[in-house]
Amino acid sequence: MALALLIGVPIGIRVLPRGDVTITASALLDRIEGSRDLSYSGYIETLGTLQLPVADNFTDVGELFGERTRIRAWWRDADEWRVDKLLATGETDIFRDASGTTLWDYEKSRLTRTVDADIRLPRASDLLPPELAHRLLADVDRADLSRLPTERIAGRDAPGLRLSPGASQSSVDHVDVWADPDTGLAVRVEVFAKGAETAALTTRFMSLSLEKPSLSTTSFSIAPGAEVEYDEVIDIAAAANLYAPLKPPNVLAGLSRSSSSRKLRAVGVYGAGVTQLIAIPLGDRAAAPLREKLRLTPGAQALVAGDFLQVGPLNVLLTRFRWIDSGWLITGTVTRATLLRAGRQLDGEIVYLGSRDPP
Amino acid sequence: MIAVELHKLVRSRRTWITVALLNALPTLVAVLLAVTDLGPRPGTGPAFLSAVLADGKLFPLAAIAIVLPLFLPVAVAVVASEAIAGEAQEGTLRYVLTRPVGRTRLLVAKLVSIVAFVVIAVLVVAVSAYVVGTLLLGDQQGVASTSVSGTALSTEELAWRTGLSLAYATLSMLGVAAIALFLSTVAESPLAAALGTIAALIASTLLLTLEAATSLHPYLPTRYWLSFVDLFRDPILWRNVGRGTALQAAYVVVFLGAAWANFTTKDITD
Repeated sequence: MALALLIGVPIGIRVLPRGDVTITASALLDRIEGSRDLSYSGYIETLGTLQLPVADNFTDVGELFGERTRIRAWWRDADEWRVDKLLATGETDIFRDASGTTLWDYEKSRLTRTVDADIRLPRASDLLPPELAHRLLADVDRADLSRLPTERIAGRDAPGLRLSPGASQSSVDHVDVWADPDTGLAVRVEVFAKGAETAALTTRFMSLSLEKPSLSTTSFSIAPGAEVEYDEVIDIAAAANLYAPLKPPNVLAGLSRSSSSRKLRAVGVYGAGVTQLIAIPLGDRAAAPLREKLRLTPGAQALVAGDFLQVGPLNVLLTRFRWIDSGWLITGTVTRATLLRAGRQLDGEIVYLGSRDPP
Repeated sequence: MIAVELHKLVRSRRTWITVALLNALPTLVAVLLAVTDLGPRPGTGPAFLSAVLADGKLFPLAAIAIVLPLFLPVAVAVVASEAIAGEAQEGTLRYVLTRPVGRTRLLVAKLVSIVAFVVIAVLVVAVSAYVVGTLLLGDQQGVASTSVSGTALSTEELAWRTGLSLAYATLSMLGVAAIALFLSTVAESPLAAALGTIAALIASTLLLTLEAATSLHPYLPTRYWLSFVDLFRDPILWRNVGRGTALQAAYVVVFLGAAWANFTTKDITD
């Protein structure tokens, strides 16, 4: 009886009919866009189904997009927040303050202080529903929006919004976002690839508070005896941007370089919202292990343009410069044709930083 | 009746052999860590094992994390399965019930005895791990321990969080004990009851690895066993600890109720 109640009550609550919230898709988008300065804290679960062939130097990108991840977040504002990625046997935390970012890894007992890189690989804080929603709904064409029925999420009746991108270059079929109707805070985001019935990536609040978290919670207080490392190069994307000698073009495969990425040195980010691609020049030490992993992945193809793989809405191409292992890593939520076109363009227009002469 | 059952438990050689065997693996792990100075790679070992090389005071938690997934539940299942089915197999159940004691009282006495075994097993594992940990592994006298979130934990904080973890581990094992006690009232032999309990736990563990069974996960008995790690985050994450406590309480109530209903209405022929 008790077990039946334990199972039945939550299921019963979930299937109870909910009254829909009356709001248009465009008005809901306005509220979501207006929620950037909100403070919140909560417990989030994400589920990625993309089996990315990432090498060790790609931090935890493979886990974030290919596994279930538990996250705790305390968000005061864009400059003061803390995001913990919870593991069964520890956790990896990101603490952000006005002077930079502190990374804590319990199992490695490693505390790292970094400056904010202009470009970096995705990390747990990028999968928070509000952050992901803002990224995916950037520069959206309102004609591509439609309403979804209200869902009960984290104890709130959240109206939904569907973005079906009209851009022919996008590999994303649609993005569903549910948001708190009063504040516009996105509470659940799902991304679907073209032709897929299940979401490639889901992130949702399981519990949510809109109270401003205390500064003591978002600040890292160093345990006595802990050693702090200082690292200016946060990951392989930041390293490529700092040290690679190549200059990315301003337009790639018909997509313009995004305004926010124009200050980048060697890495190019193109397009906006759900139609984006990034081009990272990799030296042979970074490209070789990635190429090896890529070739071992089921579905990978060795093309003239390079090694290609499609994983859900994400397409990946690793080009190769003549006979050495170096090449451009080009990836994004764009179609295969767009990606291959980008690869051909980058290989044909090699521009060295500080010089326009070919090697 | 309760005193008799507790006396039997404490005087039984099998009780102490089981407890000693439970301690053998954590002790071996501590010795190997101390000799080789090699901890597990991040994400590969039981909880807290990567930290004990620097701080031996955490070894009781690592020891619980080592025995909790398999050895402790097997031990609890074997002991609890003996409760009724063991008496029946030996042919003594009929004679026990000829005494002026009700079946409910006998079941309660068996239950108290099983709870006592669980408490003894968890405590002995923790205490011996503390001794082994502080003697063989990292000794940070006067230095605060580190929480999973990287903050300092005073000795008092470490002590009460460890105590809470041990209580949680004990409660988790009471769910196993309740299932085993119920099967002990159903099966004719303790072996069958123990195997049935272990099969249920293996099935639960297997289903937890299956993404397709996600909707079942919150109700599986092993789902929240290792959530005691959340007590060492800062701030403490109560979500899964609370859910684990409620789930184990439900298993205890349901299976003890079923055991009582079955035992009090059963024809005793052995």
